[in-house]
Amino acid sequence: MMDDQAAIERCKAGDKEAFRHIVEHYQREAIGHAIAILGNREDAMDAVQEAFIDCFQALDRVDLTRRFYPWFYVILRNRCYKLASRRNKREMSSSDETEILAPAASVQPEETMLLEHAMLELPAEDCELITLRHLDGLSYQELAERLEVPQGTIMSRLHHARKRLRDKLARLSFNGFSGD
Amino acid sequence: MTKVDCESVCRSAMASEDGYVSDLSAEQVEAHLAECSNCRTEVRQLRTLANLLDGQKRRPRTESVWEHVEQHLPEALPTWSGSRVWRAFVVLGLFLFGYRFVEMIPDRHFGILFKLVPILLVIAAFSYLRENPFKINSQLTLEGSETK
Repeated sequence: MMDDQAAIERCKAGDKEAFRHIVEHYQREAIGHAIAILGNREDAMDAVQEAFIDCFQALDRVDLTRRFYPWFYVILRNRCYKLASRRNKREMSSSDETEILAPAASVQPEETMLLEHAMLELPAEDCELITLRHLDGLSYQELAERLEVPQGTIMSRLHHARKRLRDKLARLSFNGFSGD
Repeated sequence: MTKVDCESVCRSAMASEDGYVSDLSAEQVEAHLAECSNCRTEVRQLRTLANLLDGQKRRPRTESVWEHVEQHLPEALPTWSGSRVWRAFVVLGLFLFGYRFVEMIPDRHFGILFKLVPILLVIAAFSYLRENPFKINSQLTLEGSETK
């Protein structure tokens, strides 16, 4: 199995098959992250495709001593917010299935659906931050590096994002958040 | 010094649960929570929410974008190297240096168009290099990033 560094070196030498390795290794993670920002699968797929094309063209600027995905995430994020800025409002998927959250045996499917609905009603930045923190388990330091802001800003933004999510869940009479 | 108010206490209490050390000490947070029932309720609700979110997982994705990406990849990586940019600016610098000498010739009046030459040249150079000198570069740098 080729590692990222070897694949990037081969891409720089013009080997597109090596780039396929990169795309196939990270595309699923990237689509998940893009859906959290854009709110639906179709836009997320567009953003991820464009981000990988941008990434290929910027490969001569990648720092091989660092991990690939945080670098790529900056490109992906730029693509997502550029696409989001062309939309007046986030278009949520009309599917009956959740797009961000996996169904869990310990949680009722309706509750997962309701939680995801509330998350997607948040501003894109809030939903992005909450999913990176709670679904990916990134620390404040990792979030600060990923989003290019100080850790104190992460603390503040995350606090406000959680409060907004809590309020939305309370309005939806979500179990545990109503009537407190 | 962070002011000890309800907002900063709730923010610090949640941050410390996330493993981040904020400006308020644990003692300050505890002391405030002991006497403020509103903050206790707020922190309890936010803790419940954090636990609920921590118990969730991302939905696994199965889509593939390679087919589309492959069709739109350029034939080769752009050969837009730093040395090319460097060379372009050296040429520009030499030209401007020469221009300055020509301008210093006494009793010569080249007119307004001549005065505009350096400005037009700089605009042309930045257009050629596809660089925006007024853009704040906030892209594609992750200082100290060692994490996923």
